[in-house]
Amino acid sequence: MEDRPISLTLRIVAGIMLLFLLAPVLIVVPISFSADTYMAFPPSGWSVKWYVAIFQDPKMINAFWVSLALAVLTTVLSLAIGLPAAYVLVRLRPRGSEAMASFFTAPLLLPSIVLGLALLVVFATFGLLGTFQGFLAAHLVITLPYAVRVLSTALSTLPRAVEEAATTLGAPPLSVFFRVTLPMMRNAIVATSALAFLVSFDEVVLSLFMSGPRISTLPVEMYHHVENEADPMVAAISVLLIVLTFAVVVVVDRTAGLSRTFVK
Amino acid sequence: MLHVPVTGSSESAAGEGFLSVRGLNKRYGDFIAVDNLDLDLPKGELVAFLGPSGCGKTTSLRMIAGLVPATSGRIVVGGRDLTTVEPYRRDMGLVFQSYALFPHMSIAENVAFGLKMRKVGRAETEQRVREAISMVRLTGKESHRPAQLSGGQQQRVALARALVIRPSILLLDEPLSNLDAKLRDEMRNEIRDIQQRLGITAIFVTHDQAEALTMCDKVAVMNAGRLEQLGTPVELYEKPQSPFVASFIGRTNRFAAVAKNGAAELAGLSIPTPAGMTGKVEVMIRPHRITLSAPADGAPCHAVEGVVTRSIFAGDILQYEVVAHGATFLVEQGTAAHERPLEQGSPVRLHWLMSDTYVFGAAA
Ligand SMILES: Nc1ncnc2c1ncn2[C@@H]1O[C@H](COP(=O)(O)OP(=O)(O)OP(=O)(O)O)[C@@H](O)[C@H]1O
Ligand SMILES: [Mg+2]
Repeated sequence: MEDRPISLTLRIVAGIMLLFLLAPVLIVVPISFSADTYMAFPPSGWSVKWYVAIFQDPKMINAFWVSLALAVLTTVLSLAIGLPAAYVLVRLRPRGSEAMASFFTAPLLLPSIVLGLALLVVFATFGLLGTFQGFLAAHLVITLPYAVRVLSTALSTLPRAVEEAATTLGAPPLSVFFRVTLPMMRNAIVATSALAFLVSFDEVVLSLFMSGPRISTLPVEMYHHVENEADPMVAAISVLLIVLTFAVVVVVDRTAGLSRTFVK
Repeated sequence: MLHVPVTGSSESAAGEGFLSVRGLNKRYGDFIAVDNLDLDLPKGELVAFLGPSGCGKTTSLRMIAGLVPATSGRIVVGGRDLTTVEPYRRDMGLVFQSYALFPHMSIAENVAFGLKMRKVGRAETEQRVREAISMVRLTGKESHRPAQLSGGQQQRVALARALVIRPSILLLDEPLSNLDAKLRDEMRNEIRDIQQRLGITAIFVTHDQAEALTMCDKVAVMNAGRLEQLGTPVELYEKPQSPFVASFIGRTNRFAAVAKNGAAELAGLSIPTPAGMTGKVEVMIRPHRITLSAPADGAPCHAVEGVVTRSIFAGDILQYEVVAHGATFLVEQGTAAHERPLEQGSPVRLHWLMSDTYVFGAAA
């Protein structure tokens, strides 16, 4: 019973922090339903016209599809590359695997503006700027370190004996991997997918460097929109993005359990 | 190290067994984890691998299962040379200390796994899984997940999962060490029962001496990567072939002595030594084989006068420390009704049979 006063203080601090984190949402949601032609808080009238406006803006719709395709492909490739990489690093441990592990996670340490600049220079020489492949490569640079990190941690904590049990029961190596190793890594795979998807979908800095006149992502389009106009449409888009993010989080929570997946 | 047995082993006459291991070696760099292991096990026997931690029990077992490649040596089961066969084609059932159940599968799916890998038909799989689960008394738990079972129940699932494939050999690596004492006793009997009922050849790794001696047909005592002796519990106890076995199995008095002209001097006695033995030797006598009165049948024995220096009443046994001619003997006697323990300082005369005296060449 001694910790009652502490827990009250804690609750107040937590409440303030939550308020602080949610403040943008509390502002953005009302603005998205504004009837005004400019962003103002509180809005002078209510309407859903800015939601309608999104779907009438081909640039936004295009950018959305690009972002979605990019996020999905980035997620798939992050897993397709991250899983074998993690397996090699953790299980086969070739000479220099520790150095490779650090190398894999190095991009996490670079400010994305520096990374963007470097990619700009390299991609320009290969004509990848303003192409879908360019975006994909850039996003993978950011998501792969997370993927390799999360997946190798999961793999290294997975008890070997379980895989060995499968082996002695007659499962050849590939069967062991698909029937035992992979299912046991489910939480890590869900976490990696969610992380890769959200990071790719939200990514602005690298995408700004990569985008060109023919192709652009939703966050970049939103950025340009805000630069040129002050209407509440971006608020409406933001609300949709929040809903999408929330949906991903709910899916993760339902399939793998949020705290089990991210808090380790 | 030179080990000279006092008596010949009955094992040396045994031919090739159902499981036959020849010259099995495992090196990790310069370190020899398993040193030239030879082993012959008849079909249907339960054999314990017993030895101190790090002596190579697990490594030997894993080499037999094929999970660890042997540096050299041969493994033959039922006439089939398995030395280069992949572990998933060896048909061995392995039970781990950590149970190692598949956490994402139900109990029934866990048990069915090996049959699925063997592409056994559905109806047969269902029947065999049902039988295996009932054999380990877990009927009704088929749809549970491993995490919903107790440690003992999980270990029984592991046993059923290993047995359902009808393995040629069952390998158990300290399967009971994560269980509490009461459950351990129960599981011990259960494993022994099932093993005998199925007539399956099994190796049981343990570092619990009582476990090895009470439940196994034979015990392979290992030390520092070497097989010290393979024999029945009685053979190990009565005819230890090395000082390690003599001191590892049961309690023993150990004396250093020097062999000269076919005898060694101990507490003023002349102990006969095996032919050809010279230099430093170790003489060992079991504490409870020493008596305070001469054997009634007049069997040849050693006798020495001493003084009780310590007397401990431990319920079912009496322990005396007796000093005789500068040598300290531990003596154990069964207690009888109304018997009064000897007091400290009492003079006693110790007797033990010549055949209960073990003499080994000491480590150089
Ligand atoms: N992968 C490895 N690399 C290097 N040394 C190893 C390896 N595996 C085992 N060893 C060594 O081999 C020796 C035998 O190990 P093993 O696991 O067989 O012992 P054990 O008899 O099963 O012991 P315990 O009773 O503690 O389980 C140990 O000294 C161990 O340190
Ligand atoms: Mg071991």
